Amino acid sequence: MGIEDRFEKSILTTSVDSVFNWARRSSLWWLQFGLACCAIEMISAAMPRYDLAERFGMLYRASPRQADLMIVSGTVTKKMAPVVRQLYDQMSEPKWVVSMGSCANIGGPFDTYAVVQGVDQVIPVDVYVPGCPPVPEALYFGILELQNKVIKYDTIAKKQGPDEAEAYREESRAEAQAELGPRR
Amino acid sequence: MSLEITQGTPVEISEERALTDSRRQMVLNMGPQHPSTHGVMRVVLTLEGETIVDCDPVLGYLHRGVEKLGETHRYSQFVPWTDRTDYVAAPSNNLGYILAVEKLCGIEAPERATYWRMVMGELARLASHLVWLGTHALDIGALSMSLYCFRERELILDIFETFCGARLTTNMMEMGGFSRPIPEQLPGMVRDFCNVFPKMQAEYETLLSSNPIWLSRTRGVGVIEPEAAISYSLTGACLRGSGINYDVRKATPYLYYDRMEFEVPLGTRGDVYDRYLVRMEEMRQSISIIEQCMDQMPTDGPLALTESPYVIPEHDNVMKTAEDMQRHFIWVIKGFSPPKGEVYQAIEHSKGELGYYLVSDGTPIPYRVRLRTPDFVNLQSLPYMAQGAALADVVALIGTIDIVLGSVDR
Amino acid sequence: MAEEEHTGGPADSPGRRIWDTGYWGPTVPEEHPAIQAVREKFPEAYVDAVNFRDEMTLRVELPALREVVGFLRDDPSLRYNLLSDLTAVDMLRLRDNPRFDVVVQLYSIPRRQRLRVKAGFNDGDPVPSMVPLYQGANWLEREAYDMFGIVFEGHPDLRRMLLPDDWDEGHPLRKDYPLRGYREYVQPGFENPAPRVRSRFRRP
Repeated sequence: MGIEDRFEKSILTTSVDSVFNWARRSSLWWLQFGLACCAIEMISAAMPRYDLAERFGMLYRASPRQADLMIVSGTVTKKMAPVVRQLYDQMSEPKWVVSMGSCANIGGPFDTYAVVQGVDQVIPVDVYVPGCPPVPEALYFGILELQNKVIKYDTIAKKQGPDEAEAYREESRAEAQAELGPRR
Repeated sequence: MSLEITQGTPVEISEERALTDSRRQMVLNMGPQHPSTHGVMRVVLTLEGETIVDCDPVLGYLHRGVEKLGETHRYSQFVPWTDRTDYVAAPSNNLGYILAVEKLCGIEAPERATYWRMVMGELARLASHLVWLGTHALDIGALSMSLYCFRERELILDIFETFCGARLTTNMMEMGGFSRPIPEQLPGMVRDFCNVFPKMQAEYETLLSSNPIWLSRTRGVGVIEPEAAISYSLTGACLRGSGINYDVRKATPYLYYDRMEFEVPLGTRGDVYDRYLVRMEEMRQSISIIEQCMDQMPTDGPLALTESPYVIPEHDNVMKTAEDMQRHFIWVIKGFSPPKGEVYQAIEHSKGELGYYLVSDGTPIPYRVRLRTPDFVNLQSLPYMAQGAALADVVALIGTIDIVLGSVDR
Repeated sequence: MAEEEHTGGPADSPGRRIWDTGYWGPTVPEEHPAIQAVREKFPEAYVDAVNFRDEMTLRVELPALREVVGFLRDDPSLRYNLLSDLTAVDMLRLRDNPRFDVVVQLYSIPRRQRLRVKAGFNDGDPVPSMVPLYQGANWLEREAYDMFGIVFEGHPDLRRMLLPDDWDEGHPLRKDYPLRGYREYVQPGFENPAPRVRSRFRRP
């Protein structure tokens, strides 16, 4: 019938995951949500010199419903922790978390009565960016690492839902730990 | 078939009833995750239609216990935490704390270091005002201002980075001066910035100062009477916008501000627009101060005290002489012990009067560190200004106070 | 707090001390107009006046604190009209009685002069609030209540300022309160705090 040639030219066989993850990776919309000092560096990263937003197809949204990446930029206090958790719960699946700066990673220099020692006590974290505060280039690196992680995300095999997502992240975290050795 | 209208008693809505009916009031929660609260502040607003009846700011979402940390660490160890209170003008915070400790110990930095401290303090004021202008304009609706302001702010951050290696949390001031040499290219960078910046600022003003949208959003909004401004303990541009002449640099000069020639801009109406004009003029005066500093500054000379027991010994000598090595060891391991007493040192921060109140009990650890941060006190005027204002003005009012939550909550 | 001999530094050059700025008025209490005026007006309330590093500290009895500060504000020759700061100090380790000091920093905009007023009191004593004199004392007193548990009498709205409303672990800036608090953060819905990665590096 003569349609074989047409198929060969215009059809590419791939998995649904690859297409979805490619799209997800290239359009991460992040929740506009600044906590402390790192927020200023996050804004700097989004501003003309570093231009994080336009360069990676990222866009900041003020509503958690429209975002799929949360950058925890700064100290999480005991008063703020329930709010962070609620914002995380309000984001739609699939969602990722970048912990930016020492405060969000392990509490930073604020080892006091009011501060939660690391945002991973509240929400699961995908990428930790060290620094106090990290320079915009470091945030770049974190975002690129996250993109490498997003491309591996398994939509169909994993059941949808927050519990599964969390279990999946725990698993990938264990993998990373096995690779890097115990965290110190 | 005609439509049957349900019978019932008609409700009479008189004007009086409309105002007193409690159901007509609505409570709106703004924050803590709101792009226009400049961080994690929550404002509980009681509204009647669009008009604000009551406004209750809820703070403490970034309370990190900085004062308690100061009471458990040695004097020189506390400097990095001062960076993280007001993180958009970190050198100013370093300066206030170090001046307080130096006053407590009774030492003074050499002339060249003092001039450099002034330059860094004024650059920090410019950086802070640029963040304020960008975010304030962004809240009111001028998105492009933030792009311009952050573009120029990067130039200041480059100067900081050249000077001390860090962009934001600089930790640059030390007891008795600076322990690191001034990089060769730094004076040129500062002068270049002083040449470039006035043109940029003229650009901002062509965009904003006579923009009809900007005028209608800021003129006559958030008026503070002079008496109320004093009663609310406002300082900085919030006080000067109401026409009261109080600038710590002029009133009780510290460093070499008594050698500088500069004006203190004052507002007349005390509204958001006046405070905007005051801050814009302050930026021009800052540039003038930096230029005067660069002209008067000695090109050679020590950057730090060397003999005082309160100052870390010079690094080269530590490796050469036994006394310096011993002193260095004691300074690092044990710290220095100022005399017993208490001092209050106020400086003019970009947001107002920044005061450090230190109580020393004669040990290397301060007994009490108190940060009198300007924006915490200034923020008290928000309920006063918001009474009777429209809901959309709240972001303009928060912006005009110029808050940084790290400094408000500490 | 007696002035101690200062050692080292070019500031010690004869005839000049760097803290001699004159921003706090005359350094001798007998010559200071505000101190003398308070002594004449409130002979029972006046305790002492200390000068350290050029800074004048006036100590008064607690019940008269508001009257003294009000007098300093309203007297036409003094006019300390700006409340710079209001805070407290827990003197637990320095002396037995009284435990707290409330510290009021005043500034006179027309005269360009500062003054510090202090009053000592014990835990639970009601402190006269400064809100009737200065609106700006409102949040400062709320913060002092939050951090030290000081009850201000006459304050319109004494609530916690910085810590959560349901905070039940006391008042953190008291000297007997540990830096890290009494317990770690427990997420709602969990019984135990999450494992703390940093525990190995904690100082004793």
